[in-house]
Amino acid sequence: MNTNEPGKRDEALHGLLKEWRADAQLPARFQDGVWRRIERAQTPAASPDWDVVAGWIGRLVPRPALAASYVAILLTIGVTTGWTQARQETARVKGELADRYIRVLDPYQPPRQ
Amino acid sequence: MKKGVLILVLGLALAAAAYGCVYFFCTSSARDLERSSQPELAWLKEEFHLSDAEFKRISELHATYLPQCAERCRQIAVQNQRVKALLTGTNQMTPEIEAAVAESARLRGECQRNMLRHFYEVSRTMPPEEGRRYLAWVQERTFLCGEGMMSGK
Repeated sequence: MNTNEPGKRDEALHGLLKEWRADAQLPARFQDGVWRRIERAQTPAASPDWDVVAGWIGRLVPRPALAASYVAILLTIGVTTGWTQARQETARVKGELADRYIRVLDPYQPPRQ
Repeated sequence: MKKGVLILVLGLALAAAAYGCVYFFCTSSARDLERSSQPELAWLKEEFHLSDAEFKRISELHATYLPQCAERCRQIAVQNQRVKALLTGTNQMTPEIEAAVAESARLRGECQRNMLRHFYEVSRTMPPEEGRRYLAWVQERTFLCGEGMMSGK
């Protein structure tokens, strides 16, 4: 039997393909990933809008909730520290100016500590 | 790993930016006071909620008072030197020392009277409630509170 003839070769191949079974498991959400890549490839590279930015952040941050909490906590610390120190600085400046006002008018003020 | 570092840096940068913005915004009034031509008067205007007209009048009072105050300060300094010189030259009370001490007391009294007169004038220029607050404040900060006297301790 000559298996090099085109018709017979196809039949043999079909037979083999019918018998073949894949045991390997696809990675989780493989299909979703494929579709996402297709969508991304089809999206025109327009100016970045929020969806693009959100998608970028989504890809960047593996656990968005955790990352958002972390950033929010740091922001809160920054705002609170800035506000507290600004209050202290403002109180210090006002105290100095009040002191200066009195010293200008009262020559019997004790020397500054 | 890279993502984690990026998030960390981003968070820190945001916190630093937030700190800077809030600090800059909240200290703007203090910076404005310091930048004004007469910071202590600018402080007075803000602290006692003066209108522009009240502030103008108080600035005039202030400008009138300062040269008189400087002249009294000069007289007090001269008199203090005189008393000091008299005290180093003797070990007993002399008529000159008595006269010099009396003159020092007179100068001090005159200075305090004029200061008090100025405080009253300034307080009358302010809205009544602010004027009362101003008088209470200067009383607490100057000779009017009686500090420096023997308090029986």
